[in-house]
Amino acid sequence: METVVQQLLNAAQLGAVYALIALGYSMVYGVIRLINFAHGDIFMVGGFAGLLLALRFTWMPLWALMPLAMLLTALLGVAIERVAYRRLRQAQRMSLVITALGVGIFLENLVRLGVGPETRQIPSRMPTTPVAWLQDALGVSVTWDKLLIIFVSLALMALLWAVVHRTLLGTAMRAVADDKDVVPLMGVNLNRVIAVTFAIGSALAAAGGVFFGQAYSLDPYMGIDLGWKAFIAAVIGGIGSIEGAVLGSFLLAGVEVLTVAYLSSNLKNGIAFGLLILLLLIWPSGLLGRPASKKV
Amino acid sequence: MSLLRLEQVSVAYGAIRALHGVDLEVREGEIVSLLGANGAGKSTILRAVSRMLPLQGGDILLGGRSVRATPAHELVALGVAHVPEGRGIFPSLTVQENLALATWTRRERRHVEEATRRVFRLFPRLAERRTQAGGTLSGGEQQMLAVGRALMTGCRLLLLDEPSMGLSPLLVREVFRAFQEINAEGTTLLLVEQNAHMALKIAHRGCVLENGRIVLEGPAAELAGHPRVREAYLGEAGASSPPCPGTPGSSR
Repeated sequence: METVVQQLLNAAQLGAVYALIALGYSMVYGVIRLINFAHGDIFMVGGFAGLLLALRFTWMPLWALMPLAMLLTALLGVAIERVAYRRLRQAQRMSLVITALGVGIFLENLVRLGVGPETRQIPSRMPTTPVAWLQDALGVSVTWDKLLIIFVSLALMALLWAVVHRTLLGTAMRAVADDKDVVPLMGVNLNRVIAVTFAIGSALAAAGGVFFGQAYSLDPYMGIDLGWKAFIAAVIGGIGSIEGAVLGSFLLAGVEVLTVAYLSSNLKNGIAFGLLILLLLIWPSGLLGRPASKKV
Repeated sequence: MSLLRLEQVSVAYGAIRALHGVDLEVREGEIVSLLGANGAGKSTILRAVSRMLPLQGGDILLGGRSVRATPAHELVALGVAHVPEGRGIFPSLTVQENLALATWTRRERRHVEEATRRVFRLFPRLAERRTQAGGTLSGGEQQMLAVGRALMTGCRLLLLDEPSMGLSPLLVREVFRAFQEINAEGTTLLLVEQNAHMALKIAHRGCVLENGRIVLEGPAAELAGHPRVREAYLGEAGASSPPCPGTPGSSR
């Protein structure tokens, strides 16, 4: 029983990181119908931004370091959209996808060149003592950092949900997803809404990167594997849907962690990708996605 | 006083010229109707005015100022609202959200409240449907929402593209009555319509477009009596053939 709870918390931590990445995939797809294949690498850059800040400003507490890493990565996301994607918005889908892949490779090599190819870890800025009350109540030993990662991630997701559903900016983002040609007729600057979407998506990915760098480790190519996983999570949940991205992420992390714990770590990816295929056979537009029917 | 003035406006879709040097004037407080067959360039004029399409030549003046280089979203702040062909409702947004988004450039509480009251007074049905998603509305309700949304921008000039399309005759009358009311309250209307009867009935002036050129213009009553208009657009006097079958479907 203890180990099950323990495994579920591990899954929640991993799922939280997946979700922070998956949200960016989903949001960007929602506004410009692009699978931003550079997004996993933006997550990686976010982690390294956290690492460099932590090494350089050893006095800086996490609550200052993380927003700073998020801000820097948000600027990177906006710059990528401005420089690489915007002028291709009217071009063929394929040009945009290839460009995204190229941007990803560029970022991987940029970080490898600048920081080095080694695996690094962000020196922990979070308390790593066990949570006493959880130990007493359930008999499981969980450290504070794990709990913090889970709850701060959930708080960020709740904040995003509130922005998207309760503000005029969020209304504009959903309107762009519905019909971006009409949006300027409302007086809304389409380019700015798209830029903000990239900024938010990149900032969330950076938060995931900083958490991942503390809980696990960082290397310049980690964005490939984790990016794919988060992308799968977004597709399982229904790409374009915020709730779907979160649901898919926790589902995928749960399947992975439980497979490793009770079956075999070799089966982890096989089962994760198998799940994707199976779920998409049953729900082609994802668990919470809108059916891709053309409106008349 | 002239609110909108098109001077020698030319527009092309790729290699296809849609407008050939159109001159058009809309004065403050008027309703002007644009008539013409499919593909004559009526919608293109509206899309050029709202800056959804780049101009190839000529100029567009709003209150005497050129808006040639003004992006579409900035034109809304200058008082131009465009109800596009097919209404352009955001289907996943509620009625209220659809309306709210149009206040993007004018968020003062007083304006938003006043405009909302005005829209709900003109179209009480929208008030009932407030929390319903735009995509679940009937065609007529969507048209009301599209017009209401345009009014939320606080526009001086309202561009209406085929507002009667797909509506029952009863609804068409209801919507056109609202247009007259909107106009009486001081908003200028530039109306593109297939339904020439209704369009000329409420308009002060009208223009007839053929193949991207204005071929006739004048007071609405005079146009309604013009033999060419009667034959081609009002379906009277033994109309034999449509006026310009040469350019099918090039208006989009």
